[in-house]
Amino acid sequence: MIPLSRIGEGVLMALDAMRANKMRSALTVLGVIIGVATVMTMASIVQGVRSQIFNAIEVAGPTTFYVMRYFSQTPLNPDNLPYEVRIRPVLRESDAEAIRQVPEIQYAGMWIQVFARLEYQGTQTQMITVWAADDHYMELQGGTLLRGRFFTRSELTGEQVMVLEEQTAEHLFGRLDPMERTVRVNGVPFRIIGIYLKPDNIFEPPGQETAGIIPYRAAKYNLRYDETNTLWISVKGRPEISVAKAQDLVTVALRRERKLRPGVPNTFDLITQDQILDIMGSLTSAFFGVMVALSSVALLVGGIGVMAIMMVSVTDRTREIGLRKALGATRREILLQFLVEAATLTLMGGLLGILVGLGLGEVLKRVLNLESSVPLWSAALATVVSVGIGLAFGLYPANKAAAMDPIEALRHE
Amino acid sequence: MSDLVISVRDLTRSYEMGAEVVQALRGLDLEIRRNEYVAIMGPSGSGKSTLMNMIGCLDTPSSGEYWLNGQEVSRMGDDALARVRNKEIGFVFQTFNLLPRATALHNVELPLVYAGTTARERRARGEEALARVGLADRMHHRPNELSGGQRQRVAIARALVNRPSILLADEPTGNLDSATSDEIMRVFEALHAEGQTVIMVTHEAEIAAHAKRVVVLRDGRVESDVLNQPKAA
Ligand SMILES: Nc1ncnc2c1ncn2[C@@H]1O[C@H](COP(=O)(O)OP(=O)(O)O)[C@@H](O)[C@H]1O
Ligand SMILES: [Mg+2]
Repeated sequence: MIPLSRIGEGVLMALDAMRANKMRSALTVLGVIIGVATVMTMASIVQGVRSQIFNAIEVAGPTTFYVMRYFSQTPLNPDNLPYEVRIRPVLRESDAEAIRQVPEIQYAGMWIQVFARLEYQGTQTQMITVWAADDHYMELQGGTLLRGRFFTRSELTGEQVMVLEEQTAEHLFGRLDPMERTVRVNGVPFRIIGIYLKPDNIFEPPGQETAGIIPYRAAKYNLRYDETNTLWISVKGRPEISVAKAQDLVTVALRRERKLRPGVPNTFDLITQDQILDIMGSLTSAFFGVMVALSSVALLVGGIGVMAIMMVSVTDRTREIGLRKALGATRREILLQFLVEAATLTLMGGLLGILVGLGLGEVLKRVLNLESSVPLWSAALATVVSVGIGLAFGLYPANKAAAMDPIEALRHE
Repeated sequence: MSDLVISVRDLTRSYEMGAEVVQALRGLDLEIRRNEYVAIMGPSGSGKSTLMNMIGCLDTPSSGEYWLNGQEVSRMGDDALARVRNKEIGFVFQTFNLLPRATALHNVELPLVYAGTTARERRARGEEALARVGLADRMHHRPNELSGGQRQRVAIARALVNRPSILLADEPTGNLDSATSDEIMRVFEALHAEGQTVIMVTHEAEIAAHAKRVVVLRDGRVESDVLNQPKAA
């Protein structure tokens, strides 16, 4: 058995050898650094996205669900809808009204996600999201009204008024008071009646940040939107009934409203938060998978670099190996020395990669406005993987060193 | 226990060089007792280094027997040989073979690393060995901060640190000038006086004159084996 203290000594020796060849060592482990940094960055983003989704759903409450014309994991091309979608009617206010008639349902409302640019006297935003909904918006999505008010009953009939999100307000108006001023949403004028603060935890992928809320009918009458992918009825059952029960009731109500005979399939889809979670989950894992594949390539390249440098190092140190054998080192001890050296090299690379990854993750989180911490498991995994790469790719050179004949090694020039 | 340290009987070692077979040792007999001081001489190619490698357990014979302290080394495997080298043999090389980036002390401690000695004891014994060769004040110097004679003394300290039964030196003064050679010979003499068994290979008669016994090889056999006359004062 080789005692643990010997490994510690091997690490010290390896660090010493690395100090002697800083540049060479750094170049060697570049691949490992890149690979590990990629995984770390991705892990932190994926983690951030996941926790945001989770929080968003937490805010909306797990009892909220949605009725759509057609449920598809990826958006459908509105100009070329498949037959099974086209035969379904577009959601109408009468559908929402029918759902609202069910006593166990607390809320049902038409919602549209409108993608738009906002403009005020020459200042423009990026493409962002304006929600067309009603005065119950904040009950479902969270947030705080900072100033002004939400829509009145009469404004819901289609008044061009808007509750503006705080950051967007600042972007458009700077130090001006936005209240009662008019912004243009894709060119259509809307009067600001309130300022609202988004909840912290809302999940908003880039380009889908909420910029404001307008009455549903104001969008319906004045703005273009996609009736399949971005129009739905948000539904919330009373707290005392289960989501499944609420969904059953909604299904029955809508079938009756649409006069569907028994046996005829539904002409609408219901989506629960769980399904949204699943989609987001599979999207982020797919993304993560791609990144793992890419970083594996970097790690492989890094591993080959380590192997090449270790071969050079073994040849360079032939006499040292001969000496160590003469002084009583066994094959196994020489093998261990070079394995530890390779693993230390890649571990250093891995640790640097973790630092770089954490830094990049931090930057990207700022840019994407995510809130998350790097998952501990990914740091642990990166450490283990980088040590593993050192061991795997160090094995061949270490074995070459261990197999050397001491007499010939000592004679080496 | 007898004080016979080395017993070599009818030892042969041949090397295959393609189709040719080179006979480096051709039936060599040799016995060395505790606290002997032996010089091995002979012309180039006579088998001195080959014999040293055998005695030092770096190599195994093609035939014949080698007993070291009553153990038959010629039948041992790689790991057992490594252990014997570590415990019983102290090597001194012509080219010193110090680790360039390690301090004198660290170099001297190296055999103890493979003996599994604790760090604290390694340090104590390393310091003691360096003191024995007169380098107590150079412990933390690196080889490039030391003179040739000092480097060879570090190497001798390294050879001594495991308290080996034999000190083996192959041309220990081959890379040193004559004044420095004398310095090293004085170290060997002192060690011999303290009871150390010393075997050294040399082709210089002046160096061999320091030993108590001179074995001359020719063509892989012992040609002569004589005791040195004590030098006239
Ligand atoms: N590894 C080897 N392969 C082939 N021949 C060798 C090898 N080592 C030594 N020899 C041969 O064995 C003979 C003895 O060599 P050596 O022991 O080195 O002699 P010395 O040290 O007395 O000069 C020489 O003829 C040498 O060429
Ligand atoms: Mg020789």
